[in-house]
Amino acid sequence: MKRRDFLKNLSLSAATLAVIPTMSFAADEKPKGSNALAYKDALAAITGGKTPEPSEKVSLKVPEIAENGAVVPVTVEIDYPMTDSDYVKAIHIFAAKNGNSRCIDAHLSPANGKAMLSTRVKLGETQEVIALAELSNGNFLIASQSVKVTIGGCG
Amino acid sequence: MSNSKTLIKIKPNTYKNGDVVKVSFMVMHPMETGLRKDKKTGEVIPADYIKSAKFEYNGKVFTTMNIWETLSVNPVITTYMTIDGAGSLKVTFTDSKGTVEESSEEIKPKG
Repeated sequence: MKRRDFLKNLSLSAATLAVIPTMSFAADEKPKGSNALAYKDALAAITGGKTPEPSEKVSLKVPEIAENGAVVPVTVEIDYPMTDSDYVKAIHIFAAKNGNSRCIDAHLSPANGKAMLSTRVKLGETQEVIALAELSNGNFLIASQSVKVTIGGCG
Repeated sequence: MSNSKTLIKIKPNTYKNGDVVKVSFMVMHPMETGLRKDKKTGEVIPADYIKSAKFEYNGKVFTTMNIWETLSVNPVITTYMTIDGAGSLKVTFTDSKGTVEESSEEIKPKG
């Protein structure tokens, strides 16, 4: 009987050992860094409460599946004239689920000739990439696309 | 970073006054997020990323950018600009450590 008790205890302790680490792992939040800002707050800080309008004028080119989250090419092109009185004031790129959702803000001027911004971003997990265009008349245009990330590129 | 380098590329190679050309800026920079750990010592590598960029053409600022650590290592930024006479295109990058990296390219329109 001693042997049976011993085995019983062993299996119990093994079970608890197996449970505890997974629980503590789930409770741990991912580190977010000192610049952490959620997408909603970042968007509100720029638009100032205005609702951006989804538009086909904003073309966002991102791969649907990114094998390496550390380097994801993003191209934003806005079909909008760049004249002195009416132009795209700024292009913002966000990654919705990154610790710091802001990627880049480009403040343009009519001297650019064409509203386009292309760069490469890091994506921590599968998420949406959002492009926001700020027009000189105070309106906002928005476009988004989800990207499937195989290997995360943050941290 | 003292060893960081900037490369400016203009496409197409030949352009005229009034043309809208594509300009790419490539910067050699580690873009550390401050979340990564050194695999050998286990210490957190401090954040080090480009904070802002300023693009000048003949002394006139035409584009400014705010950049965060979410951009990839060795960032490449591409945008457009209008050619308006000979001169120089200057770019200034400032990183989170306060290092300023400057680079310039001559603009020589043909015809």
